[in-house]
Amino acid sequence: MSAVGVPMMVRLPAWRARLAVALLLAAFLVLACRSVYLQSMNTSFLQGKGEARYSRVLEVPATRGRVVDRNGEALAISTPVKSVWAIPEDVSVTAAQLKSLAGLLSLDARELERKLSSAEREFVYLKRQIAPETAARIAELGIPGIHQQNEFRRYYPGGETLAHVIGFTGVDDVGQEGIELAQQAVLAGAAGSRRVIKDRLGRVVEDVESIRAAQDGRDLILSIDGKIQNLAFGALKSSVEANRAKAGAIVVLDVRTGEVLALANLPTYNPNNRARLTGAQLRNRVMTDSFEPGSTLKPFTVGLAIETGRITPDTMIQTAPGTLTIGRYTIHDAHAEKSGAGAMTVAQVIQKSSNVGAAKIALAMPRDEMHDLFKRVGFGAAPRLGFPGEAVGRVREAKTWRPVEQATMAYGHGISVSLIQLARAYTVFARDGELAPLSLVKTGVPAAGARVFSPEVARALRAMLEAAVQPGGTAPRARVVGWRVGGKTGTAHKLENGAYAAHKYVSSFVGFAPVSAPRLVIAVMVDEPSAGQYYGGQVAAPVFSQVMQGALRLLGAPHDAPLAPIELPGEGDEVKENT
Amino acid sequence: MNSLVFAQNKTATEYDRSLAWGALLLLSLGLVMVYSSSIATAEAGRYTGNNSAYFLQRHGLFLALALCAATAVFLVPVRIWQKAAPWYFGACIVLLVLVLIPGIGREVNGARRWLNLGLVNMQPSELMKLAVVLYAADYTVRKHAVLKNFKRGLLPMLGVMLAVAWLLLREPDFGAFVVVAVSAFGVLFVGGMNGRHFTALVGMLAVGFAGLVLSSPYRMQRIFGFMDPWSDAYGKGYQLSHALIAFGRGEWLGVGLGASIEKLHYLPEAHTDFLLAVIAEELGLAGVVLVITLFVWVVLRAFAIGRQAAMRERYFAALVAQGIGIWIGFQALINMGVNTGLLPTKGLTLPLMSFGGSGLIVNCVAIAILIRIDWENRQLARGLNA
Repeated sequence: MSAVGVPMMVRLPAWRARLAVALLLAAFLVLACRSVYLQSMNTSFLQGKGEARYSRVLEVPATRGRVVDRNGEALAISTPVKSVWAIPEDVSVTAAQLKSLAGLLSLDARELERKLSSAEREFVYLKRQIAPETAARIAELGIPGIHQQNEFRRYYPGGETLAHVIGFTGVDDVGQEGIELAQQAVLAGAAGSRRVIKDRLGRVVEDVESIRAAQDGRDLILSIDGKIQNLAFGALKSSVEANRAKAGAIVVLDVRTGEVLALANLPTYNPNNRARLTGAQLRNRVMTDSFEPGSTLKPFTVGLAIETGRITPDTMIQTAPGTLTIGRYTIHDAHAEKSGAGAMTVAQVIQKSSNVGAAKIALAMPRDEMHDLFKRVGFGAAPRLGFPGEAVGRVREAKTWRPVEQATMAYGHGISVSLIQLARAYTVFARDGELAPLSLVKTGVPAAGARVFSPEVARALRAMLEAAVQPGGTAPRARVVGWRVGGKTGTAHKLENGAYAAHKYVSSFVGFAPVSAPRLVIAVMVDEPSAGQYYGGQVAAPVFSQVMQGALRLLGAPHDAPLAPIELPGEGDEVKENT
Repeated sequence: MNSLVFAQNKTATEYDRSLAWGALLLLSLGLVMVYSSSIATAEAGRYTGNNSAYFLQRHGLFLALALCAATAVFLVPVRIWQKAAPWYFGACIVLLVLVLIPGIGREVNGARRWLNLGLVNMQPSELMKLAVVLYAADYTVRKHAVLKNFKRGLLPMLGVMLAVAWLLLREPDFGAFVVVAVSAFGVLFVGGMNGRHFTALVGMLAVGFAGLVLSSPYRMQRIFGFMDPWSDAYGKGYQLSHALIAFGRGEWLGVGLGASIEKLHYLPEAHTDFLLAVIAEELGLAGVVLVITLFVWVVLRAFAIGRQAAMRERYFAALVAQGIGIWIGFQALINMGVNTGLLPTKGLTLPLMSFGGSGLIVNCVAIAILIRIDWENRQLARGLNA
């Protein structure tokens, strides 16, 4: 009954409609089969492909361990901070927002705008490591495309006083210097991981499983005693400033345990603000620099001669006329003119720091034995504190020594050591002949040492070194009130381009106290004092005295000397050693 | 449902409830899934104002409009459609021309498919799909006497279709072209066109297609690349590989409504062309089979209604019903074939379900016409005047 009056001559062929329906149904059936295949048989393959796209293993950061001193005072701690980054393409910001954002980040508004418009970059840091409070205020601005991430920033409460021991970490929380570098593995811990599902924009939408829990870094308890450290740093700083020296270094050792109680260097830096850092500031001179120690080495040669029975403390050594010529070289004594004596005892050689006496004693011994001694007290080998860049020093093979070199080595020339090697070597005298092993980590227990001298020889040398700080010795200024001290000065010309510089000195003092039962060894080195005085007894000994006095008081060491004020000899009476 | 009936006549409450329910189920499932699949996109988009319900609101509005349009269309007797068919077809051709004119047609991603109507955009190619069914049915009936004649029966239709094809491919909208061509010649085929002409036409298309493909390895790769999306999974196979992953993740019962990961910016066009993939992931094989079953039902009802109309010698109505069945069924097949990786990726939506105003309204109007034809069949069966 078609509305339009066209006569229908042919009926619609019904088979064609049926064919069309059949074709459509067949296609739907194929589709259903395909679906069954995809959703019940091919699932593991497809799900695997899916996981490769959006399943991610995330790192769960471990908190870096603290570094504390032996009393538990924090020396390096991690504080949570935020880093602000942006996806420039996503950022839409009003002028007012840009201004307040720049203010909060303390960035120049134009600089910030430039960063935000670097369209070719998908990720740009705006500022790293800002305070969480500032980060919260940035989040409140609600600018799309600006993101934050959690990070840790290392803070060093000790600042410049301990900079060289602790070192610092970089912006990625990895140790770059000092203990932070040496103990990176222990402090860093192990980051954990977890599997998550992320959407294509990188946001975590599902936490699937924890693969490995994060293992936080262990706290490190250093042997450093913060109070002694402050004392040592302060005393060294005053001396370096007063003597207008180029640099200075000091190390305090616990005689019984071999622990490093204090270690300071000048110049130094503030590890919390390393904006302008120079190589000189970074150098841990105590550990990484070696120098010709000068007279501080005399007691070792003397000790060896006594130990081997070649001399006794009372043996007379002829030092007149104050010079000794070996081949083309002549060795001088600075004090000979004043002392006037033609011969002196071995004890006086130490006390007056006679180069000629020391040289003569050295020449009486085979060079192999001297070389062996230097090796046994730790020279020419890294002290192995696990510290980056430890100096080895230079002790030449014995067979290459010429007689004049053997003679000068007796008073510390032609050999180089680091300050920490020197301090450690002095534990031989302080520990009745044993060389203490060193530790930068708190042990708290007496350490077994390697025997170098017999106790008798060590005690004899202690007596001689005590005499050296008495009036008539080279370092009366090293004495402290209430405790007997012993030690030796060193004043060496600096080597410059292989020759000794005429007016550049390294002044040093190494000593121990109390002499009756030594607790501490302190070594002080002042590089190029240029305010007039340069003898170790004048420049380095007062630092030793000041630090030793304070440290013994802090340790509560029993007095072994009367609490009487110390009388310094008049300027003319002070014995000055040379070299 | 009562609104569809619009109680013209107390005796006239009989209508094809099962078809109406089938279509309504597809529409409601579509609404839910469009929302589910578009949340992440809407929330992240700047043009949506970060409104997670952006697409839901629009789809809901379109759906309401579509149901109103369907109700209105149900009231229109089929003979009016027959009279209006050439005019409607002509109007659609004018719109297809307009859409190509710069300044009138709106270009999105390099394709000119939309006319800007102020608040909303209209897609003339969607209107053309219905128009071509109506026009082909009218043509077949008008030219029935000479239909088997090449010059007078086939050639005019072929000419008109070439013009429409040219317009659609200029947009370009290859998917719409395929649907329009298949619908038009499907109607001609069931309407009794010369079998040899039809075979020759299909043969020519096949040879032409094969020639085009074989003459260029690049084109071959473009077209057959879909067979192995994993060889270039982050490039050309990106969309399809993600659709397939969605199917694999869904398994039998799905990961649960709302739990799709693929819709989280991995699968592009999740709420339009790849809605089935999200259904597969969230509702599993069960959801996919439900959708297939509902479409099969719509197609079967369309052909059944067509057959009944044919039995009452209402040839135009019969061909329109069957044409709508071919159109809806074919478009659904293409879309699902693309989603499952059986066919190369072409932009075609899932009828009655995907997001898109023009398509939704035209699809609902088509279903309303089917119901109207059936209603008229029933009226006639009662001896009443349609």
